[in-house]
Amino acid sequence: MTVASNVKQCLATIKNIEAQLSSLALNSLEKEAQSAFHDAMLSIGNIKKDLQYRVLELERMEPQYKGS
Amino acid sequence: MDGFIEVFYRSIIFLIVLFLTTKLIGKKQISQLSFFEYVSGITIGSIAGEAITGLEKNYLQGAGAIILFGIVTILVDVLSLKSKYFRDAIEGKGTVIIKDGKILEDNLKKERYTIDELSALLRQKNIFKVTDVEFALLEPRGNITALLKKENRPLTPKDLEMKMPNEKEPQTVIMDGNIIEEGLRASGKGRGWLYTELEKLGAIIDNVFIGQVDSYGELTIDLYDDKIQVPAPQQRPLLLATLKKTQADLEIFALSTECEKSKAMYKKNADLLQDTIENLSPYLNG
Repeated sequence: MTVASNVKQCLATIKNIEAQLSSLALNSLEKEAQSAFHDAMLSIGNIKKDLQYRVLELERMEPQYKGS
Repeated sequence: MDGFIEVFYRSIIFLIVLFLTTKLIGKKQISQLSFFEYVSGITIGSIAGEAITGLEKNYLQGAGAIILFGIVTILVDVLSLKSKYFRDAIEGKGTVIIKDGKILEDNLKKERYTIDELSALLRQKNIFKVTDVEFALLEPRGNITALLKKENRPLTPKDLEMKMPNEKEPQTVIMDGNIIEEGLRASGKGRGWLYTELEKLGAIIDNVFIGQVDSYGELTIDLYDDKIQVPAPQQRPLLLATLKKTQADLEIFALSTECEKSKAMYKKNADLLQDTIENLSPYLNG
């Protein structure tokens, strides 16, 4: 396992979390819970952007692992 | 033989009269909250019994008396709503029995309660020590309500300064294998959603005895077939575990990378995720 693939795996998990939070925010009936899930989803989205950028950087540094 | 037939149709007539009277007076009659409802409840019952079996008398008089009692009770209820003085006069006020942790013997004597009766009433509330009680009131209906001293009250999340999420009431969406449209609407879901969730749980709707949706939109069901194990909803606890794992991953990346800029980025995001976990954990636990 290279660093790039580890980070990619982490990015995939982050995307999964974002999707689950989104579905929880939509399915919850309680306003407070809805907004808590929504806010969490937004901050997870920011983390996702940073990681996506880092993955691109890593792919440039280790071109042989690109796409794996 | 004639008597039997007479009793039979009188019973039916009085059942209808009693049903209508109690319906008119409402829920208050059933709970017999105030003195007036208590007395009228007993009296209406005995009038009905007397009129049904007292064959030598005219039963219409009994029916009239029941209706009169019903009307007077409703009248008293309406007047009680309007006037506080009337309410106090008719229904009476509660008597303070224990104040500041001390028994008020004079009030106890005024209500003609012995100390044995008082402690029996307190024991019904699971209170065995009089000194545990801060304040106790003898209600007009003769039962006792007691406020325990703060240190003897059950522990609540508020005492522990825990933040607890508010929860809406669960909605019943399936009963006896039938979809309850009202509950489905109240929980903001549709039939399509329900069938998808049932498929996820591996159940068919005909086998579901009761199905409820909680405030997070999770479906919990009980099946007719008790041998089948239904999986409990796992989404939220699993999500919390995944969040924690990802946070740890980011910490590891931050420690293992050489690049200063990336190190700062990982650290920042790990902290952000930690905050998110702390905010969400009340909603994700259990």
